[in-house]
Amino acid sequence: MTDATLAGSQPGRPPFYRDATVVKWFAQLVTLLVVLGVMFFLAREAGDNLSAKNIATDFDFLNINPGFGISEGIDTDPDTGGRALWVGMVNTLRMAAAGIVVATILGIIIGIARLSNNWMVNRAAGIYIEALRNIPVLVQILLYAAILGSAGRLLQDTGPIEGWVIRSAKGLALPRVFIADGFYQWAIWLLIGAAIGWFLRRQQVAKRDATGQITYPNIALLGSVLVFGIIGWFAHPVFGFFTSIFEALGDAYGKIPQGALQILLAVASLAIAAWWIKRFLDQRRTPAGLAKLTDDDYFRMIFAGLGGLLGALLFLVLWPGLSSWILNSGQDLLYLLSDKFGNGRTGQPIDAMKPTLVGEGTLWNYGPQGLTLSVGFAAVFLGVTLYTAAFIAEIVRGGINAVPKGQGEAAAAIGLSRMQSLRQVVLPQAFRVSLPPIGNQYLNLTKNTSLGIAVGYADVVNTGSTVLNQTGRPLSVIAIWMLFYLACSLTISVVVNWFNVRMKIVER
Amino acid sequence: MTNAFETIPMRVVAEEDLGKPDLPPEEPSLPPGEWLKKNLFSSVGNTILTILVGALLFWAFRGLLDFAFNNAERDWTSVAANMRLFLTFAYPVDQYVRVWVSLAILLSLGGFSFALTRNIGGITLRRIATWFFTTGALVLAATLLVKGPLERDADGVLIFNEENEAIRNAVVWADRSIWFIVAAALFAIAAAIWFGFGDRRRFIFIPTHYVLYAMFGAAVLSLFVVKYGHYGLREADGALVPVMEPDSLVARSTRIPWLVMWVVTGVAYFVGTLLRSRGWFKGLTGLSWLLAPPFIMWVILRDPSFDWAHVWSTDIPMFAAFAIGGGAILFWLSKPDLGEIGRIIAFGLGIVAFLSFLSGALGWMSMLQKARISFVLLAMFALVAHNFAGDRSARLRFVGAWIATIAIVHYFVTAINTPSTLQGIQSDTFLGGFLFTLFAAFVGLVVSFPLGAILALARTSKFPIFRILATTFIEVVRGIPFITVLFFFSIMLPLFLPEGMEVGEIAGVLIGLVLFSAAYMAENIRGGLQSIRRGQFEAADAIGLTPTQRTGLIVMPQALRVSIPPLVGQAISTYKETSLFAIIGIFDFLRIANNVIPNQSTPINFVGHKREGLLFVSLIYFIGSYAMSKYSQKLEKDLGVGTR
Repeated sequence: MTDATLAGSQPGRPPFYRDATVVKWFAQLVTLLVVLGVMFFLAREAGDNLSAKNIATDFDFLNINPGFGISEGIDTDPDTGGRALWVGMVNTLRMAAAGIVVATILGIIIGIARLSNNWMVNRAAGIYIEALRNIPVLVQILLYAAILGSAGRLLQDTGPIEGWVIRSAKGLALPRVFIADGFYQWAIWLLIGAAIGWFLRRQQVAKRDATGQITYPNIALLGSVLVFGIIGWFAHPVFGFFTSIFEALGDAYGKIPQGALQILLAVASLAIAAWWIKRFLDQRRTPAGLAKLTDDDYFRMIFAGLGGLLGALLFLVLWPGLSSWILNSGQDLLYLLSDKFGNGRTGQPIDAMKPTLVGEGTLWNYGPQGLTLSVGFAAVFLGVTLYTAAFIAEIVRGGINAVPKGQGEAAAAIGLSRMQSLRQVVLPQAFRVSLPPIGNQYLNLTKNTSLGIAVGYADVVNTGSTVLNQTGRPLSVIAIWMLFYLACSLTISVVVNWFNVRMKIVER
Repeated sequence: MTNAFETIPMRVVAEEDLGKPDLPPEEPSLPPGEWLKKNLFSSVGNTILTILVGALLFWAFRGLLDFAFNNAERDWTSVAANMRLFLTFAYPVDQYVRVWVSLAILLSLGGFSFALTRNIGGITLRRIATWFFTTGALVLAATLLVKGPLERDADGVLIFNEENEAIRNAVVWADRSIWFIVAAALFAIAAAIWFGFGDRRRFIFIPTHYVLYAMFGAAVLSLFVVKYGHYGLREADGALVPVMEPDSLVARSTRIPWLVMWVVTGVAYFVGTLLRSRGWFKGLTGLSWLLAPPFIMWVILRDPSFDWAHVWSTDIPMFAAFAIGGGAILFWLSKPDLGEIGRIIAFGLGIVAFLSFLSGALGWMSMLQKARISFVLLAMFALVAHNFAGDRSARLRFVGAWIATIAIVHYFVTAINTPSTLQGIQSDTFLGGFLFTLFAAFVGLVVSFPLGAILALARTSKFPIFRILATTFIEVVRGIPFITVLFFFSIMLPLFLPEGMEVGEIAGVLIGLVLFSAAYMAENIRGGLQSIRRGQFEAADAIGLTPTQRTGLIVMPQALRVSIPPLVGQAISTYKETSLFAIIGIFDFLRIANNVIPNQSTPINFVGHKREGLLFVSLIYFIGSYAMSKYSQKLEKDLGVGTR
C-alpha cells in the first residue's frame, strides 16, 4: 500500500502540458508566431492599401531627378533623389560632429565651474544648467531661429571681413575647404604613414618599458604621418595605378557566377550555425567528458540549426535577388573606387574657395562656392549644443563628485599642484564614471539634429520629407531614415564602448 | 549622607531647545567683507574670474530683460489676448464650464494626494526668508536695469536718428516707483522672518503643502489686485469686436473660477486629511488618477450624446452578458480545488480571444470591437484566476473586480464611439493647447509604464526568444529620433490598418509616443532589475514561490524602488518631447505660439509676434520640468537609493 503510493507519486516525467521546458518553449514559439503573424498581416494590409492608393514602395526615386534644390550642403542642386538624401545625411553628420565636439568642451567647462569655490562662477553654471535642460530643445531651437532670423538683409557689402565672411538674415557664408581631385591618392600616402608610425610607436613604447628611457611614442606617430603627408601632397599621382587594379578587381568580381555566390552564402550560413553548435558543445565539455545536456540546450541547438537552414534557404530559393544585389553593388563599389583614382586626377588633394555673392537686380544670394551656413544651421547648432552641454555638465559634475575625496588629498600629499591633481588624478577617474552617460548624450544630440525640420535646416529628415512628398514613397524614405539613424547610433555606441573598455581598471 | 539625586548629573533643557533636532550650531555668518573675500576674491585668478563671470551675468541678465521687455518689438498683449487659445485651443467658449469642472477634478485629486503624502517634509523659515530676499533683489535689479522707453510720435510710430537707431528716452524713475515699493516690501518680509525668529528660523519647518498652497493662493488673489488686462471678443452689431482693456483686471469669468479652484483644492486637502487613515482611500485616489484623464477627455469635455435606443438594445445586454457570464466562469475558475481543468479552460478562453481578433482581421465574422476586447480581458482574468482562489468572499471580490473592469471598459468604449453634443468637435481634433500637452504626457507615461515593465522583464528573462524580441524593439526604438517615429505613426499608420479600422491622427501619434517612451522606460526598469541580488531570487525560490509570485512580490517592488528617480527623469523627458507634436501639425501650445499667433491679423493684428509666445511656452515648460526635477531629487534622498 505505502509502496504503491510512493511509486504513484514519483512519475518519470510530468504530463507534457505541465512540463516546464515544453511550456516555456511553447509560450516563446507562440509569442514569436503571433509577433511575426501580426507583422505579416500589417505588411499585407499595407501592401494592399498602398497598391489601392497607387503608392509605390520601390527605391526607384533614388535614381530619378528629385526636382528640388537644397538650401545648403555639399550639393545644392542634386541630380538624383539618392544624391539629395546623401546631401541631407552629410548635413546631419556635419551637425552632429560639430555639436559633439563643442558640447563636450562646453559641458566639461561648465561641469567643473559648477564645483568651483568661487560663488559667482558656481551660481552662473547652476543657472545655465537649470535653465537650459528644463526647456525642450525644440522650443530653444525655434527661439534661436526667431532671434537670428531678424538680422539685416543680404546686401553686396555685408560682412565683418570683406570677401571672407558674409552674414545676413539668410545666414553666414564662409570659405569652403573641400576634397579635390588628388585626395584618394593622398589618403593612401597618409595610410602608409600611419602604418609606419604605428610600428615606430610600438617600438618606442617597448624601448621605454625595457630601459626606462624617456621616449616620445606619440610624437613619432604624428611625425611619421606628417612626413608622409607632406611627401604625398606632391607625390600623390604616383598611386594613379590603383585605378587599373580596382578595375581589374571589379571585372573579376563581376565574373563570379550568381549560382556560385548563392551556394557560397548558403554554405556560410550553415557553417556559422554548425560553428555555433560546436562552440556551444565545447562550453558544455568538462574534463570528465560532455556534461549532461538539458532540454533547453537541445532546443537551443535545434533553433540554431533551423536558423542556419533558413538562412541557406533564403539565399538559395526564397530571395535570389539578394545575391545578385550583392554582386552588382560590390562591382559598382569597385568601379567607383577605380574612378576615384582615375588617371586624370592630378590636382591638389584638398582645395579651398572663398564665398561669392550673386546679384540679380536688388536680390542678392550666396553663390555656390562658399560654405554657407543658414540661420537654420545656426539655430539647430546652438540649440542641440547648448542643451546637450547642460546635460554633459551635470554628468561631469556627478563624475567628479564620485571620485573619493582621499584621491585628491593623496595627490596633494605627494606634492601635486591643484592643476596636476585635477589633470592626472581626479579627471581620469571622473572620466571613467561619466563616459557611458556622455556616450548616451552623444546619441541624443545626433537624434536631436533631426529637429532641423522645424527651422528648415536641410538634414536627412528634412530632405527626406521633401523627397517623400515629391515622390510619394513614404515607406522607402522612412526605412532609409531608420537605417541611417540606427547606423549612426551603432557607430557612436561602438566608439564609446571601445573607449570604455580601454579606460576600465584592469583588475587581477 | 548626600541626596541621591545630587549625584545624577542634571541637564537643564531650555524650553526653546525642546523639539530641536540635533543640529550643529549655526555657523556664524561671516561679515560681508570676509564673505566676499572668501567666496569671490580669494586669489588673483579668482578675482579675475569673478569680474569676468559677473560681467557676463550682468550682460546676459540685461540682454534677457531687453529681449523680454524691449518696448519697440515686444508686445505681450499677443500672449495675454491669446491665453485661452494657448490653454485649450478651440474649445467652445459657451461650454467653458466643462473645462473648469475638469480642472476642479484634477485639483481635488491633487489635494487628496497631497494629504496622503504625509512625509513630504517642510521648508525652514530660513529658506523662505532667503527666497523673499532673492526675489526682492531680482525685482530691484530688473527695475534698475530695464532701459528707458523709446520715443514715439503722436501716432505711436518710432522715431529714428540719422544712424537709423530708435531714439530712447531717459528713464523716469517715478514711473517705476511701484516696483521699488514691491522690492522694499519683499526685503521687509525677508528681514522680518530672518530677525523676528532669530535662531529658531532654522528649526521651524513650514510643511511644503502649505507653502505651495499659499503660492497658489497668492497667484489667484493677484488676479483681483493686479491689472493684468482684459482681452476678449464682444459681439456688437452682429460682428465680433475685440475688447482690449490693458489697464483693467482680468475678466470676472476668469477671476471667480480660479478663486473657486483655490477653495476646492483646500477643501479637498482638508477632506483628504480626515480620510487618509482609512485603508481604502489611498487605493481609490490612485484609481481615480488613472480614470480621471479618460473620464475628463471623453465624458466631460467631449460630452457623448448617447443613442439611448442603441444603448438599451445592444450595449447594456452585451455588458450584462459579459458581466454575468464571465463572472460565473471566473467564480468557478477560482475554486481552490479545481486543478488542471482550470488551466485548460483559461487557455481555451485565450484561444477564443485570439480567434475573435483573427476573425475580424480576416473578415470571417463581424463583431463589435468591444466584444473582442472583452474576450481578451476575460482570458486575462481567467489566466490569473487560480491566484485568487480562496474562500467565498475572496472569490466574490475577484468577480466584483471583473464586473467593475468590464463596466468601465464598456462605458469608455461606448462613450468614445459616440458623437459629441458640442458643436464642431465631432472628431478628436478639439484637443489642443496646453490641455493636449498635459493629456499626451499623462497617457504617454501611464500606458507606457506597464509596457516598459513587460519589456524590461522580457529583456532580462532567461527565455531567448522573448529576450531577442524585446532587445530588438528597445534598441531599434532607442536608436531612431522621436520625430521619425511621429512621422511613421501620422503618415504610415493608416496604411497598415485593415479597411474599416480607423485611428485618428491624435490617437496614432499617441500610440507612437507610448511605444517610444516604453522603450526608454524599459531600460530604466532594467537598471533596477539588475540591481536585485541573486540571493533575493534564491530566497524566493527557497520558500516555494512561483515565478510569477517571485516577480510580482519580491523582484519588482525592489526594482521599482531603485528605478523611481530615473523614471521621474523619463517623465520629464516625455513632458518635453510632447513639444515635437508641433512639427507634425498638431495644435499643441508650441505650434500655437510658433505658427498660429504670428499669422493672426484679425481681430487684433499680431503678425510677426513669435518671440513672446515662445518665451511664454519656454516658461511653462520650465516650471513643469523644474518642479519635477526638484521632486525627483527629493525622492532620491527619501528613498535612500544607494545608501540603504
